[in-house]
Amino acid sequence: MDNSENFSQFRRQSKKGILVIYINLLYKVLKAFWILLFLFIQRFSKISETTLTYIYLGVGFLLLFFFIRAFLIFKNFQFKIENNHFILKKGIISKTNTSISFDRIQNINFKQNIIQQIINVHEVNIETAGSSKAEISIKALSFKEAKALKQAITIYDKKITTEEAVLAEKPFLKVGFLALLKVSLTENHLQSLLLLFAILVGFYQQIDELFKGLGKRDLLDSFISENTSVLESSVILIVGFLILLTIIAVLSSVFRIFLKHFNLTVYIKNNALEIYQGLTTKNSVILKKGKVQHITISSNPIKKKLGISFITFKQAISGKVNKKQEKVIKIVGCKNKQVSEIKNLLFPEENVTNYDKNLPDSYFRYRMYFRSFFLILVINLGLFFAFENYYVFGLNAVILPIFILIIEKTYKKRYYLFSEELLLVGQGSIETHKTYLPFFKVQNIKLKQTIFQARKNVADLVFQTASGKIKIPCISMEKALKIYNYTLFKIETSQKSWM
Amino acid sequence: MTNSFQNILVTSFPDISEITFKNIEKKYLNVIIINTIFIFLLLFIAVFFAVYKDIFNLKEYKFWLYVLYTVILVFTLFIKIVGFKKRKFAVREKDISYKNGIFFKKLTTVPFNRVQHVEIDQGPIARFFGLVTLSVFTAGDSSDDLKIRGLLSKNALEIKEFISNKIDG
Repeated sequence: MDNSENFSQFRRQSKKGILVIYINLLYKVLKAFWILLFLFIQRFSKISETTLTYIYLGVGFLLLFFFIRAFLIFKNFQFKIENNHFILKKGIISKTNTSISFDRIQNINFKQNIIQQIINVHEVNIETAGSSKAEISIKALSFKEAKALKQAITIYDKKITTEEAVLAEKPFLKVGFLALLKVSLTENHLQSLLLLFAILVGFYQQIDELFKGLGKRDLLDSFISENTSVLESSVILIVGFLILLTIIAVLSSVFRIFLKHFNLTVYIKNNALEIYQGLTTKNSVILKKGKVQHITISSNPIKKKLGISFITFKQAISGKVNKKQEKVIKIVGCKNKQVSEIKNLLFPEENVTNYDKNLPDSYFRYRMYFRSFFLILVINLGLFFAFENYYVFGLNAVILPIFILIIEKTYKKRYYLFSEELLLVGQGSIETHKTYLPFFKVQNIKLKQTIFQARKNVADLVFQTASGKIKIPCISMEKALKIYNYTLFKIETSQKSWM
Repeated sequence: MTNSFQNILVTSFPDISEITFKNIEKKYLNVIIINTIFIFLLLFIAVFFAVYKDIFNLKEYKFWLYVLYTVILVFTLFIKIVGFKKRKFAVREKDISYKNGIFFKKLTTVPFNRVQHVEIDQGPIARFFGLVTLSVFTAGDSSDDLKIRGLLSKNALEIKEFISNKIDG
């Protein structure tokens, strides 16, 4: 298509990249030292004129320093394409030279955060798998350049390109505002709340550290205990607090979903899924069929009523990549028809619906009860020693039914079935998850049996894939061994590449 | 529940339960025992120190504490010795398997065409006995791949060579 972009010579990013790098650097610094800034603003009036001048000078110097640094990073960041390899030179003082073969490249993603949106450049991320090499992120390219770069890299990939120039087709899936609102209102709000708490705890710890450092811990402690003691004394406050918590949970779900999935659009092109989504940070991901290891289709009772579910695609991760950037791609708000279309795209001619479900042995339920028994025992003991009051055992009236409900649900929803090429594992308690895994994508397989399971002649099967484990718990030893042998047979005779 | 497997089971597949597993080197038992005793020695020092300084007000139960310590030591050694016999491996034409455990039995198989790389390393005590550890890595979460401790370095090299040939070929 566009031959004006020449990648055979070393070249730099778009000049606007300096700004992106600069703001990125400043953002990082601000994130680490925001508390200093906070202190500074708080004590603004108490700082003498001369110190203030020094502080301004210091800040000015730092700003300049980071600008120079950003400029140097930009200057030294060069890349080219040669011999079906992407070659990257970077580093100001310690230089790194990276060369990645095209067939190692898993994904080329475009991303735009707010700043990149304003100055109209795209961030291009090149993801690799199976190697411990760092991921490559080019911070700023014009859309034309980015497109051309992607084209240049994918042109060699399996020799399918020519049609790609044809753009602007009808999206396969588009989730509008109302649909997204539906999705977010039916989210697992408890999870959202926990996520929010995790963020707040991190926040609190940072503040706590600061006060400790200033020797003013008591101040914070007394502030908190003052406020909590008021809370404890009033039932109305507690109820109010609970209602507030619920509202916060729902709001944070909505916020989270909209931030991540706003304007979700999916195209199907050349056997790949192109996914665009995001509010402040626009993400575009190309999901190649072959690179997907397994998918999970999930729903919950309310979503089921509305006929929507979400699909999680798992791609290969390399062992050294930290867990944060797990290559999980999620699309929400899929209708049943779309779900089955995606299934057909990824696993064509594999219809698992004709096969019977295999259920786990009843030992699975027994084990869950057994484990929960100990958990409940610990909860009870903990409660008792915390409050030293026999009334706390009354809480069991609430806890027990919840446990029983969850265990029975979990047991009922557990099943597995498989066709010639595909394994389907169903699980969940309140939510329902269906995981599809082609046998040949398994990396290694484990059979686990505890001494208790040995008595019942059941065992756990664990499939290790390049993107995590999939477990089938408590099935009869005979069946487990059959599947074990069959899986190995499938892997060892498979000619297809797993990524 | 009908057995959906029957549909597919036209040919007989190589059966993992029918292959003969090899034991690892007998000498490795020494390594295990020395390692265990070393850990318990450290533990003994800790217990002795705790009793001597009377940190947890346990002085009056001194006798029972030492009895408990001995029981745990004997039990652990017993488990380790019995468990040693359960550590077995097998190399087939297309995969490598390892099994271990008494109370928690585990059998792992890694097909060669999924192996990323093979590593051989050696701890200080194992070195004294001329033994090595063979680790086979696959893609993904490598912490949970296959690891065979207590092989003669000659054998381990042979296996490594064998797998490397299979990967390249």
